[in-house]
Amino acid sequence: MIFGKTKLEMKVGIFVFIGMVILVIFILSIGGFKTWSSGYHINLNFNFVNGIKVGAPVRFAGVDVGEVKRIKLEFVPQESRSNVKLDVWIRNIIKIPSDSSVWVNTLGLLGEKYIEIMPGIDYSHSLKHGDCLVGVDPLPIHQIFNNAESILRNLNDGIIKIRNKEGTLGKLIYDDAIYNELQALVTDVRKNPWKLLIRTKEKK
Amino acid sequence: MIIEIHKLYKKFNNLPVLNDLSLNIDKGQTCVIIGRSGCGKSVLLKHIVGLLKPDKGKVLVNHKEVAGLSELELSSLRSKISMVFQGGALFDSMNVTENVGFSLIEHTHISQKEILERVEESLSLVGLGGIGNLMPSELSGGMKKRVALARAICIRPEIILYDEPTTGVDPIAADSINELIRSLHDKLKVTSIVVTHDMKSAYHIADKIAMMYKGRIILEGTPREIRESKDPVVHQFINGIAKGPITEAVDNFK
Amino acid sequence: MFTLFFMDLGRKVISFMYFVGGLTNLAVQTLYFTFKPPYKSGRIIEQAKKAGYDSFPIVSLVALFIGFIFALQTAYFMQRIGSELYIASLVALSIVRELGPVITALIVAGRVGASNTAELGSMQVTEQIDALETLAENPVKYLVVPRFIALGIMLPILTLYANIIGILGSYFICTIKLGITSSMYMHVTFTSLLYKDLFTGLFKSWIFGMLIALISCYEGFNVEGGAVGVGKATTRAVVFTFIMIIAADCFFTALFYFIFP
Repeated sequence: MIFGKTKLEMKVGIFVFIGMVILVIFILSIGGFKTWSSGYHINLNFNFVNGIKVGAPVRFAGVDVGEVKRIKLEFVPQESRSNVKLDVWIRNIIKIPSDSSVWVNTLGLLGEKYIEIMPGIDYSHSLKHGDCLVGVDPLPIHQIFNNAESILRNLNDGIIKIRNKEGTLGKLIYDDAIYNELQALVTDVRKNPWKLLIRTKEKK
Repeated sequence: MIIEIHKLYKKFNNLPVLNDLSLNIDKGQTCVIIGRSGCGKSVLLKHIVGLLKPDKGKVLVNHKEVAGLSELELSSLRSKISMVFQGGALFDSMNVTENVGFSLIEHTHISQKEILERVEESLSLVGLGGIGNLMPSELSGGMKKRVALARAICIRPEIILYDEPTTGVDPIAADSINELIRSLHDKLKVTSIVVTHDMKSAYHIADKIAMMYKGRIILEGTPREIRESKDPVVHQFINGIAKGPITEAVDNFK
Repeated sequence: MFTLFFMDLGRKVISFMYFVGGLTNLAVQTLYFTFKPPYKSGRIIEQAKKAGYDSFPIVSLVALFIGFIFALQTAYFMQRIGSELYIASLVALSIVRELGPVITALIVAGRVGASNTAELGSMQVTEQIDALETLAENPVKYLVVPRFIALGIMLPILTLYANIIGILGSYFICTIKLGITSSMYMHVTFTSLLYKDLFTGLFKSWIFGMLIALISCYEGFNVEGGAVGVGKATTRAVVFTFIMIIAADCFFTALFYFIFP
């Protein structure tokens, strides 16, 4: 075991080398395009971001083009409100028109949050590194519920009135008078169809 | 190199193995320790080379206490002491050449060619020239023992400890081992301690014989003194008699 | 009866404390000699071949089957809730984080650890370890350090192999039997994995490798009583190593879960 070992070393060498290749494959694949392509940063301002996380994907026209790098919550004294500033990394080749609209969207069943950018039309002014875009605030769930509730309440009032035979609709549905009149009219017209053709003489 | 053993005590699982054992061995002397199997002779050897640490007492080699040596000092001591183990204790994973030359390969920067020469020389001293490429598993018990002896002398030590070198070896090989021990003693002035219960071999090689019984040396002297001893224990042992004080002591326990 | 039971328990606890103490002692010595020159690469290479190269066929076979089984098992549930796409990510995460390192470690513990204990044990029984010491070679440096280094390096590499082969096994099932397209599978696999997942897995397998080496060598050194003793020590080594691997896995999984969520 002391003299001459070349074959042994070669076997171990091949083994370790392939292991290293696998490691490199893993590292490159896990990183994906994010690590290897260059890009630029833009800032998005929101009032509310609905729990978006660092690393969340950014979609432009429905295609993944970047990710959220940093989330900063800052206070704006002159407007006396809190502002959420998202530092977003975008791939270099993507041009985003400055009139694009941006909002936080939810993906699928598991509720993963991502940034949706709907392209605008003003491609002559596309965003450059460090530019800002103001996001459309997503509606918080409780606000959606509030709106829905007031709508439902109004509807409810109407339905109650109808039930109580109030108003035009109420009378239309619950009052037999119109039905009777109509029936009389139809019977009369069937009996004397000429009434429709001949103009009734007006008394002078 | 002088070996002094002073009031040595050692217990295994509360069973005393060495009990107030003292022995001095002069430079260049061959000392044979006799005693029944399992009376602690191998344990004594392991104390000398520092494999075991005594519970009480001292082992001095060249006036230095073995148990108190630093790692480096112990290492340099061991390059001067070799031990031949009972079963040979050859490394199974290496062939005979690598076994015999182990110390030279691991600890020195001698060229490969020179190592091979030294190994071959040691092997032919024990009468086993030309088996360098065999593995220990291919050797018979007696050959293993001789290879172990070759490994011990390959480093040219000043002290050699033999643990039953002639047990399990055919009479002719046993005699050649005895001759080898004698010639190492005569030519190279090697200090030797031989543990054995082969009395023929003991008389042949010893300058001094020490009888070990119940964990201590009960008698030491020249072969002639031992042979003429009136001590009943020694008398029973050297003549190999089944009935006597040694066996009675054991029988009394029952 | 009860006193007997507690006496037995007490003895077990005491012997376990001896085990922990001895193992710690061996670990300290091994670390000391690992960094102390002279360094000899020959024996490390030899052990590396035994631990890594020779274990590769069995590890890859088991990893392949684990991949098959896990894909089918996950598919069983995922098809019910109609999200077959997530099979890939679930399989990739489970294999890279847990199954790869643990299964590899268990196989290597059974294969290499047992052989280490048996080898060192029979060396102890035939006085070869004593002989080593009288030849001025420290047994820890000569026998334990090469195994320690070799297993510490080889086990993470074997785990990498197991990871990729396990994922490949699941890939075959998903693309051939479940109709997920090949590129979709690969995409989902690698987007769901993070560096964190890969490196916690490899870190754990490094720890497992050192544990296997230390426990198997410790048991080998402490063999008493001939061939029977070697057999007993080998069993003990494998059992203890399995327990320690699972315990360490639990510990580190919890640690990584709470420290790097």
